[in-house]
Amino acid sequence: MRLILLALRNAGRNRRRSATVLSLIALGSAALLLAGGYAAATFQGLRENTIRNGVGHLQITGIAGEQDDAPLAAGLDRVDDLRRVVDGDPRVRATAARVDFTGLASTGDRSVAVMGRGIEPDQEYGRAGFAPRMVEGRPLTAGEPHEALVAARLARSLGVRAGDRLTLMTATVDGAINGLDAVVVGIYTTGVRELDDRSVVVRLDTAQALLATSRVSRLVVVLDRTGHTEDVRQALVTRLASAGTPVQVQTWSELAAFYHQVRGLFSGIFAFLGLIIAIVVLLSAANAMSMAVMERVREIGTLMAVGTTRLRIMAMFVVEGLVLGALGGLLGLALGYLLARGLTAARIQMPPPPTFTTGFPLQIEVVPALYAAVLAAMVVTLGVAALLPAARAARLRITDALAHV
Amino acid sequence: MHTTCVAEVRSATRTYRSGAALVPALRGASLRVSRGELVALSGPSGSGKSTLLHLIGCLDRPDSGEVRLGDLHVSAMSSAALAAVRRDRLGFVFQSFNLVPVLTAFENVEYPLLLTPTPAAERRRRVNALLDCVGLAGKGDRRPHELSGGERQRVAIARALVNGPQLVLADEPTASLDSATGAAVLDVMEDLRERFGTAFLFASHDPRLVERMDRVITMKDGVTCD
Repeated sequence: MRLILLALRNAGRNRRRSATVLSLIALGSAALLLAGGYAAATFQGLRENTIRNGVGHLQITGIAGEQDDAPLAAGLDRVDDLRRVVDGDPRVRATAARVDFTGLASTGDRSVAVMGRGIEPDQEYGRAGFAPRMVEGRPLTAGEPHEALVAARLARSLGVRAGDRLTLMTATVDGAINGLDAVVVGIYTTGVRELDDRSVVVRLDTAQALLATSRVSRLVVVLDRTGHTEDVRQALVTRLASAGTPVQVQTWSELAAFYHQVRGLFSGIFAFLGLIIAIVVLLSAANAMSMAVMERVREIGTLMAVGTTRLRIMAMFVVEGLVLGALGGLLGLALGYLLARGLTAARIQMPPPPTFTTGFPLQIEVVPALYAAVLAAMVVTLGVAALLPAARAARLRITDALAHV
Repeated sequence: MHTTCVAEVRSATRTYRSGAALVPALRGASLRVSRGELVALSGPSGSGKSTLLHLIGCLDRPDSGEVRLGDLHVSAMSSAALAAVRRDRLGFVFQSFNLVPVLTAFENVEYPLLLTPTPAAERRRRVNALLDCVGLAGKGDRRPHELSGGERQRVAIARALVNGPQLVLADEPTASLDSATGAAVLDVMEDLRERFGTAFLFASHDPRLVERMDRVITMKDGVTCD
């Protein structure tokens, strides 16, 4: 306590120097908080986007045999039985069956290879909340004749608009070629260029008719909260195993490779930025602490003469560094918090990230764990910065220190 | 009265290196200070007064010879043990007072006690009693820059005495003071010697100080001549 009080008073001796060091620590801390808060908001946005854009929280699929590469070979039978088991968990908000297929979309004079998906509109658009971002027309509806949603860039390639007709062709589960006419009821965008180039969505019954099967590719499960994902997965694995259903249950995290790539990239950038800031703060603080030692050589000699041990002299300067780190860090937390709130409230529009087609408003999360980590990092950095000057102070010869002018 | 030996130096030598040259500061100095004695080390600049004071003060070690403080042979002690000896057995008064500017007069006097396990109430009692002794009652909350030169030196004397040392070492304690203030500071030291039986060893050129000593040891070329 005495050392902290002494450190505070010593910090007030050369106010301009202390203010410079404190400003540097505060700005460094605020920069880290803004970068970290932006990364956290991006991770969170991307995670929820991934889940809400159709991945869901969990996906249940069949287990494919080694030689079996026919369409829907790993598909699920008896979907209603499966759904009853899954819907028994109170944390499950929706279960949406899907059929995935690949094939050709043709207008007669133009044909493009497509990735198709059959969905249940009432489940997808209703309870799951996977509403498509419509560019033109309307989403799919239940009970109408075969209809299709075409992704924007694919629609441009095919030259189709809402109301036009489209022929979809694919191989059935038996290996035969099948074709089916559908009305294009709407054009939509996924926000991802590669998906917009190739995607077609039809109703589940349309896809099943096209593939001549009653199976589905997967059951997408949406939960009330993302935080429940792992618990529900465990519960479903146990319940489905005891029901004798050979299926696999994967979480959104296992299915979202892109999310992990972005997270890895941002984490790397954040770590590099943190390292640069820590080095700048470390060097500046070490310089300031060295000057503090130089200015107090005779005082150090006096304190040692009256019985202060070399270890305590060292502790004095290290504590001074820690106190500066804590003060600067706290200032930085306040500055970072205000900037995070202000910039988020300003709703600055950011350009689209790579592979995305639309931008997003700048958002900076306030993550308490990040604030604690930045404060701890600044305290430790200043402690380390003070170590060398403190050791130099503790090694002074008392007689030389007392004679210092 | 002056029979108990508080400090003794026998045939101490000390040589410093100045660039490539070796400068002998002490060439076999010997000295003995008894309890309650006022002793001055006198002599021209470079005669070895400060070096001898440093050896007795455990601030430096002799190249040869022996330094004893009471029953302790301090010449071969470790750095940490010497710090404890300085803290418990010695007091220091410097020419430029050497107070810590960020501490108040009270805190400067209290500082050596903080290095010991003395309870807060006892610290307060001893510091206030000493500030009273040196005529600074009521000025404990002042920082050094708010005190006169004489007052600062009295704070330094109180700091030197707060741990109840057997010997106070003072290097030119009156050199930065005018004659009236210097005399007042010496009055305080004489009074404290009478009250606590503390011995004082001064290194000084000041003839007004020297004439008030019990004993004067003259130094010349690193050797003591009684």
